Parts: sequence; structure tokens; C-alpha cells
Amino acid sequence: MQHAESMKEYRERLQGSLDNSFLRETLDKFAVAYKANRLTIFADINEKELIQEIAAAKDEGLTKIEELYTQFKDEAEKRGVHVHRAATAAEANEIVCRIAKENNCKLVIKSKSMTAEEIHINHALEEHGCKVVETDLGEWIIQLRHEGPTHMVMPAIHLSRYQVADTFTDETKLKQDSDIGKLVKVARRELRSRFANADMGISGANFAVADTGTIGICTNEGNGRLTTTLPRVHVALAGIDKLVPNIHDALRIIRVLPRNATAQAITTYVSWMTGSAENTLTPDKRKIMHVIFLDNGRTALAQDEICKSALRCVRCGACANVCPVYRLVGGHQMGYVYIGAIGLILTYFFHGRENARNLVQNCINCEACKDVCAAGIDLPGIIQEIRARLVEEEGAPAQSTLLAKVLENRKIFHSLLRFGKFAQRPVTGGTPYIRHLPQIFMKGQGFRALPAIASKAFRDRWKDIEKSLPANGKIRVGLFAGCAQDFVYPEQLEAAVKVLAAGGCSVEFPMGQSCCGLPVRMMGEREAAEKTALANIKAFDPARLDYIVTLCASCASHIKNHYVELLADAPGMRTEAQQFASRIRDFSSFVYDVLGMKEDAFRNSGEKIGYHASCHLCRGLNVTEQPRKLIRAAGDYKESKEEDVCCGFGGTYSMKFPEISGQILQHKLDNLEASGAATIVADCPGCVMQIRGGEEKRGNKVKVEHIAELLARQLK
Amino acid sequence: MATIDKEAVELFKQKAAPVSIKVVEVKDMAEAVAYALDTCEKKDFCELVYCGTEQTSAGIVKAEKKMFCAPNLTDKEYSALAALGAERGFDMLRSGMRGHLEGIDVAFTTADGAVAETATTIIECMSEDVRLATMIAEVHVVALKKSQIKKTSYDVEPYLQKLMEKGVMYTAFISGASRTADIERVLTLGVHGPLELHIALMEG
Ligand code: SF4
Repeated sequence: MQHAESMKEYRERLQGSLDNSFLRETLDKFAVAYKANRLTIFADINEKELIQEIAAAKDEGLTKIEELYTQFKDEAEKRGVHVHRAATAAEANEIVCRIAKENNCKLVIKSKSMTAEEIHINHALEEHGCKVVETDLGEWIIQLRHEGPTHMVMPAIHLSRYQVADTFTDETKLKQDSDIGKLVKVARRELRSRFANADMGISGANFAVADTGTIGICTNEGNGRLTTTLPRVHVALAGIDKLVPNIHDALRIIRVLPRNATAQAITTYVSWMTGSAENTLTPDKRKIMHVIFLDNGRTALAQDEICKSALRCVRCGACANVCPVYRLVGGHQMGYVYIGAIGLILTYFFHGRENARNLVQNCINCEACKDVCAAGIDLPGIIQEIRARLVEEEGAPAQSTLLAKVLENRKIFHSLLRFGKFAQRPVTGGTPYIRHLPQIFMKGQGFRALPAIASKAFRDRWKDIEKSLPANGKIRVGLFAGCAQDFVYPEQLEAAVKVLAAGGCSVEFPMGQSCCGLPVRMMGEREAAEKTALANIKAFDPARLDYIVTLCASCASHIKNHYVELLADAPGMRTEAQQFASRIRDFSSFVYDVLGMKEDAFRNSGEKIGYHASCHLCRGLNVTEQPRKLIRAAGDYKESKEEDVCCGFGGTYSMKFPEISGQILQHKLDNLEASGAATIVADCPGCVMQIRGGEEKRGNKVKVEHIAELLARQLK
Repeated sequence: MATIDKEAVELFKQKAAPVSIKVVEVKDMAEAVAYALDTCEKKDFCELVYCGTEQTSAGIVKAEKKMFCAPNLTDKEYSALAALGAERGFDMLRSGMRGHLEGIDVAFTTADGAVAETATTIIECMSEDVRLATMIAEVHVVALKKSQIKKTSYDVEPYLQKLMEKGVMYTAFISGASRTADIERVLTLGVHGPLELHIALMEG
């Protein structure tokens, strides 16, 4: 569990998880298996369409939550159910304790419910004198160990069979074997008597159908059926966002939830409870049934234009399954109660700033979660928004404010960068890497060699380059450089210009351009992000150009996906922002699709070339085929495992969490090494920096370059 | 005569295999009953799991007599079945499941519907006995008519709508044996409920 703690303490916890080799190995295997299984289970279904439908239906539902609640209440009450609404966690706990008291309940069993965890119901009931027993196997294990869950669907994924055997040995006072089949049997035996003797069963609800007053729960173990059948009293806890209009909506959720959660077509059991069913223990032979809808900030969140889509969440846990950071550190460090990308978000909204402050920094912005989310939520976008709010609410850390101030003014920024090249001279040792930065700057950065600032920036070379270009190309292209290439890797831009010119473009390089603004947006510095966007649009005057091409996937994706929204309130800038965003193209798809440069444009060198699919290219812009086709045109493409998994760079992330960035990089390097590639290309200078730095550190002799450099070399 | 969607039947069979549902084709109810009784005959004696409030993990205790429950058959169907079961020496019952939480051998039920794409059978379980029997039996055998199988879950929507709008109802979608992967993600069957689910697929 996460407490109010400093960033330093948080990082120490992260390091602790990184050192847990069992956890690492388990999560690694899971990450790989999950992706493959998910692909298979979605094979006969139109995934994107289904997700869009879920998103649209949830959005629509959120606009009429009050009506849905009233309708549900009417229908359920007609069928003998007591329906409550709790504004806060405390209120929900009070209601549950009151029900326990009125019905003289001593032993309470629970089937898995995130909402129950959200309000810490066990604690409240125990204070009230009840004994609470979890019946989901994973939940029971962690309850016995006094731990929090590390995954929303598989709460005990961090534990080994040996740890479970020890825990069961303690609980049963009998030596238990570590055989998993036998351990499961222990749970079967131990928990059956709890089911039989319980007075109250608490369940969650995966959906609540307003039209018929039905609640539904999905379980694989079947503990949900026993929990809602054996005890006299049944209390279902549901977030108010779980209300859906009708059975069709419920069926839709059942289609997506198990598929996305565990790559199953459906959970073994889906229980539909419409009204209070038979229970032979009560005088009238009907179960005493209560449904409590928890608000706890949800209706306010539903009014929050930017973040409300977080309420679409169906709690499948997929955003954790694909997260490269989760894969390394596990759930205890990636959430408070809710875990994974949605956990970072809901912690802020449900459990407060204190608990969220460090957590929300721990997103590398690779967009893998957004790509698989069952409800189509832009999770990284909301996380960045929360960072911005934290900055607004409590001010920014000095380091981030300084960057924001510098970036707001291009001239200062650029002269600082130019100054940097003099300042670094003593540390590069004549190589293109920074060799001996004072320890204070290099803290934790030892996992990769960092590049030096180029002796002459691209912008300072432009005049000469421009002269050598043919005039009157058929396509007018503005080149957007991004900071890394302008000042660190100008040779990548030079290569690109060569290819563009060969493809028949006339290239312009507007001098007024600056950083795209992504780094400051990532830090939550909204104002600085707006100012840099504005400066770039002015510098390019986009209407004059056919295309704006950038070699940086991150810049491209940021500009395309966020400029319009960033400048929504800037008077008169909407149209230009739109023009700018719609003209932006990444280098590879521009060369392949627009310029039509294919196999016959390049000489195939036969060299073995590996590829890293940059996050912001393959997910941010959905460009996947073109770069691979270009590589095949210029050399011998060697596919590697998990090509589309983040390299760990994440811009400022790698400075903030070097230990994680470094570990993600090691995965990437291992996979690339296994492919046997002698050259590795990527579509983003940040990825090149990260991977090249890592290879250099390992002493590997592979070449790491931008795809533009490969193509320029192999031009016919 | 109800129509059979052959494609749906094939799909059901195909989807049942990977989730360890055993599908056997039988002619009619009589054969389904015979299959269920045979299954009970062949299986090992039930491992009792509930021993009151006493220490429960002291080891494995097996039942000494087979117990067979059929909670949702019609009176006529049940009396025929009960006679056959008694001949084989089984304890036969159709209610009072709360008294047998330590476990029974076989629960035999008839399905109220089915969805092919997920190998799901639908069972209306308003009765506590149906809910309990289908959870505490080690083997659950469901008699399902081919004509009851619909292709997708949306195809059973009208049925569900009618079922739930009329009043109180507890309905179950069952798509396999009780399973967990909570320890090291290793799939294990029979954590709380049945270790096996069999479908006796009837013509008609
Ligand atoms: S945010 Fe999306 S991916 Fe994450 S748990 Fe919710 S629905 Fe699943």
C-alpha cells in the first residue's frame, strides 16, 4: 500500500520491487503470454468496433446517471431489494455496518469487489465486531498475509506457490505442500465452512441493469454464486458508474471484460440477480438483499470534461497487463487500491492527492494502455492532465518550472543548448558521448551513455544545406526538427533532407521553430506547452505548405494529437492549429506513402537490420507497416521479439526514474541482440539515443541509427 | 418441432473443448440420464470438504456412498431418474442441498438456453437448491437440446429480457468448471465449485 511519502521513498520502494526476481520473472512471462492470448481471443470479433461501442454507451450512460439510478431503484425495490446510495466511502461503510447490525451478522464473506476495497469495508466491519473472510482465492491469500492486491484481476500474482504454502501452513496449523493443485484444494476445504456459516455475503457488481433492476457478477471460481446464495443477507456494492440502461449493454460488457482481462471468451460464471431470490434461512424464504451505489466523487468526475472518460472503465486490468513499468515493479508500486494506468488516475480522484502525487509521475507515456483499453480511455492523456492539475494545485518542483520557463522562450532555450556544447567539452573525451559528467548530474544514468551536443546545430548548418538543394520540388515540405535532432543529431536531419530531395520535395526549415512542447506537457506545465505550440504554428505558417515532416515520432504524435486541444482557447488559433496538425507527417509513412519511394528507390545492402517500433509511431500514429517495408527495401530485416514495446526512454521519464528506464532498456537490448541484427533503426531520435546509449554501455558493436540515415545511405 | 442451427451446434462444440467442457451427444433425455448415472458410477467417491466448524484441513475424507442430485427436473422426469439411481445404490435427492454442503458427487440439470460462441449454458436458478447443487457437486452434467443453442449472446437477449422483466430471477451463465489461476497463473479446476462440467447434447 502506498502512503504519503516523498519521491525519494517512492523510488526506494520501486528499487525494492526491481530487486524481486520472482516478481520480475512472473510479470515478464505474463506480459508476453497475455498479448499473444489476447490476440487469439479477439480474432473472431471486431475489437475496435466493440471498444468504440462500449465507450459510446458508457459516455451516454454517464449523462443520465440520475435517471438510471431512479429506474434501477424502482425496479429492484419492486422485486424486494433495498437500494441505497452513498455519497462517500464513510457513508457506504456506515450503511453496510448498519445492515450487519440490524440482521445480527457476525461472519461476513466476500466475493471480489474493487468497490469494497475502495471504501476499505473490511476494516469498517472488523471495527464493528464482524469477522470478514475473502473467498476469491487470490484475495483470501493476500488477506491472510495482510497485503494489498497487486493486480485488479489477479490480486496475488506477486506471490509464489511456496509463499502461498507457508501462508496456508500458518492458517491451518498443518504443513501444506507447495503443489498448486493441493493448495487450491486447501482453499476449497477451508472456505466451504466459511460459506456455510456466514451471515452476510458481500459482492461487487460488474454491471447494474436499470431496466430490470438486475445486478451481474462475473467470476471464474464460482465464489460469487456461493457468496450471493448461502448467507441470509446479501449486500452488493457498486460504483454508480456501473449502471447501464439495459440487458444489451450488460451483454456488451460481458463480451469485452473477460476477453480483455484474462483473454477468456467469457468467465466461467456470470450471475444475473434480478430481485431477491430464494433463501431458505429467512422467515419469508427470500434473501435479504441490499444494493449500495457508491458515489465517492463519481458524479463530480462525470462533470469533468477532460477526465470523465475514466468512468468508462470496466476494471479489466488490461492497462496494467501491457504497461512496461507495471511489468517491472508490480501492482504495489503502481496503484493504491486501483492498479495500473487507471489506478494512477483513480487514486487521484478517489483517494486524494497525497496518495497520487508520486504515482502519477510513474507513467512513461508509451500509450500501450490506451491501445488495449476495453473502454477506449485515453489513459496517458488523463494522467498528464492530472500532473497539470497537481502543478496548478501545489506548484511545480523547481526543476520542472525551470524547464518550462526556458522552453517558453525559444531564444533562451537555444542559446542554452549552444552554450551546452562548450560546457560539455571537458566531459566528452573527444567521443560523441558525455563521458564524465559530475556525479550529481549522472545519478542513476549509468545504464546508458548519453550523447554530447553536436558541434554545429542543424539550424546553423541549414544555410549551406539549403543552397545545395534543387529548387522547385513538386511537394512543399516544412521540416520540423524537434530539439534532439536539431542540437544533438543534426546528421539525422541531413540524411532526411537528402531522401526528401531525392523524392522530389522542396524542403524548408523555418528558423522560428522550437521544442514541440511534449516534455513540458508531460511535466504538467500546461502554459508552457501552449506557448511552444503557438510559437511553432507561427513559425511554420502551415497554410503555405503541403506537408510538415518530422523525424521524431513523439513530436509528430504530440502535435497531431494534442495541438488542437491545447490551443482550443487561444483566440483565432484554432484553424491554424488544425492546419498544422493535419499537415504533420512522420518521416517513414511520408516517404513510403506520399513520395511512393519503395524497393526501386533504394539499393539493398543485405545488412541485417533490426527495428524498434517507437511507441508514438506505432500507437500514437498507427504507423506500423511503412518503416518495415522501407527496411526490407534497404537491407535484410531481422524481426525481433516485442518490437513494439517501449525502449524505456520516455523523455524526461528516464531522468526521473532512471532505474526503471534502464531495466526496460535491458529487455529491449536483449531482444534486439537475439535477432542477430548488426544495425538497428528507429523512427525517433529519443529511441536512438536510448538504444545507442545502451548498446555503447554494453560494448556492443552494433550500429544504431535513425531510419532516415539508413535510407539516405542506400539511396539509388 | 424446434429448429436446430447446425452451425451454432458445431460452434458450441468447438468452443467447449478449450475450456475443458466435455460434450457428449445423446439421443434424448433417457440417454442423457443414463450418461449422468454412468458418470456418477465411474467417478471416485466425493471428497468431503465441509466438516462443520472444526479443523477442516486435517486431510482428505471421502464419502462412503455416492450422492446424486437433480434439482430442476419435472416430477415425472425425476421419479424415473430416482428409481434408476436407487438401483445403482446412489443416494438420490432433488432438494435440501443446504444439508449437504460437504459435497455431493453429481448434479444433473436441464438447461434453459445456450450460447455457442462462448460454450455457455444458461440455467434459471431461482431455487436455492439449483444454485447450490450446481456448485457443490464434483461433477455437473447438463442436459441441453441442440435446438436451444443460439449463436451469440445477443441472440439470447430477447429471452433474457422476458425472463427478467417479469419478476424475481436468478440466472446463471455457466461456461466450464469452477476455475482459478490465482496461484502463479496456473490454471486449476475445482476451486470452489465443480471440477468437471459435462454437456449431454440431445437431439431436438
Ligand atoms: S482503464 Fe481500460 S484497460 Fe484499464 S482497467 Fe479500465 S477498462 Fe480495463
